[in-house]
Amino acid sequence: MRKNYCEIIRRELDERMLDEACSSSVLEHLRDCADCRDFHQKQTKLRRMVGGIGTVAAPADFDFRLRARLANESNSATFHLQSTYWPFVRRGLAVAAVLLVFATGIVVVRKIINRDETVAIQPRIIIDPAPAPVPAHKPEQFTAANPPSSPQRIKNERPLQTNLKPRHPMAAIDFSSQRAEVINGLEAVGSTTVFPLDTSLQPFKILLDDGRGNARTISVPAISFGSQRVLRNANSFAPKDVW
Amino acid sequence: MNTLTTIDELGFAPGLQQDVLEDLTSDHALLEATRTGDQDAFAELVSRYRNQITSYIYRMTNDYDGAVDLAQETFVRVYRAADRYQRSYAFSTYIYRIATNLAISELRKRKRRKLVSLTGFFQPSDGGEAKELNPPDGRPLQDSELVETERRNAVQRAISTLPEKYRAPLILRDVDGRSYDEIARILETSEGTIKSRISRARGFLREKMRAYL
Repeated sequence: MRKNYCEIIRRELDERMLDEACSSSVLEHLRDCADCRDFHQKQTKLRRMVGGIGTVAAPADFDFRLRARLANESNSATFHLQSTYWPFVRRGLAVAAVLLVFATGIVVVRKIINRDETVAIQPRIIIDPAPAPVPAHKPEQFTAANPPSSPQRIKNERPLQTNLKPRHPMAAIDFSSQRAEVINGLEAVGSTTVFPLDTSLQPFKILLDDGRGNARTISVPAISFGSQRVLRNANSFAPKDVW
Repeated sequence: MNTLTTIDELGFAPGLQQDVLEDLTSDHALLEATRTGDQDAFAELVSRYRNQITSYIYRMTNDYDGAVDLAQETFVRVYRAADRYQRSYAFSTYIYRIATNLAISELRKRKRRKLVSLTGFFQPSDGGEAKELNPPDGRPLQDSELVETERRNAVQRAISTLPEKYRAPLILRDVDGRSYDEIARILETSEGTIKSRISRARGFLREKMRAYL
């Protein structure tokens, strides 16, 4: 009870101005309560000290500087707009820059991820136990090179990717274990009609005539793989055009 | 026909004359004149408040040059917003509110910049209040003026360590001697909150200044 009354008295002491007179009830309590008296003395001293720090005067050129500042502002018409909106513009630019960096980062990261996936996916070689049938509608493509024994067929398949269109599996024929046939320009290969390619170094010429006397000759130079010429020159015992 | 030689001969009642003169020189009237382009009226307003505002901001920020700059900024804002000024409050409340906002914003800027202060070195790592550097000095001081100066500096340092929400009402009350009502209007809070904050601020100060009490 007494503690509560002390709090009330202290609050009243706290709220009054220093030069205000205390009420009779407060004075009476201060006479009886040593704690509140001590509080009152310390509080009064503290408030006098704080109030005693006084005011600080503005510098002598305060007015002059203020006038100069105002004149400077009125001269520059855009100052007000700049000072008002520049912080917003600056924040907007900062946000735009952050978004740009973020978007660029996303694009770069996606590119890197796609590249890594491409590298990580090695083409799997699946060897079919049964040889894949050669397409029947193009038998002549294999007549020149297809040996009697069926070559080993290797099917390369790429794993399906979800974001790619499904592709047909690709088939390839491995001729590495077969010996290539010697092509002689004098005889036709196989029974089918084969354009008689001359493997000599003579250019391949075609004469075109439109029937009105305009003739034109197209000359296709012979294709050399290099080794042919080397072999020809190096081995004089070998028959001509056979290598 | 009588010729009037002095204004007193007009026969105005003394009370009325006084009221007219006071009205012409009131802050509101000066600001009204400033609005119409009267530079002298604005100069009069500046001369009335420059010391108070500079001193108030200095007590808030503990930086004299910064306080002068902010005081000038306060007057620039008053000048710019003269058209929008409303006479619902006293001009002193209005200008103190601007000064308070500028000072608090400066204190927050400083906090963001994390300026290294000497008192900061003695701040506990748990984020508690800073302890003032008061090295014990047993030597007798040479002059009572030195004692007084040292005491003032200690008070100023102690005030500058108060949180800003306690600092402004304490300065307005105990340094500037403003009423609770006016402080509440300046700081845009209730009077009860102001009383509570001032009481807390004095409690903090009492702890810090224990050696001087």
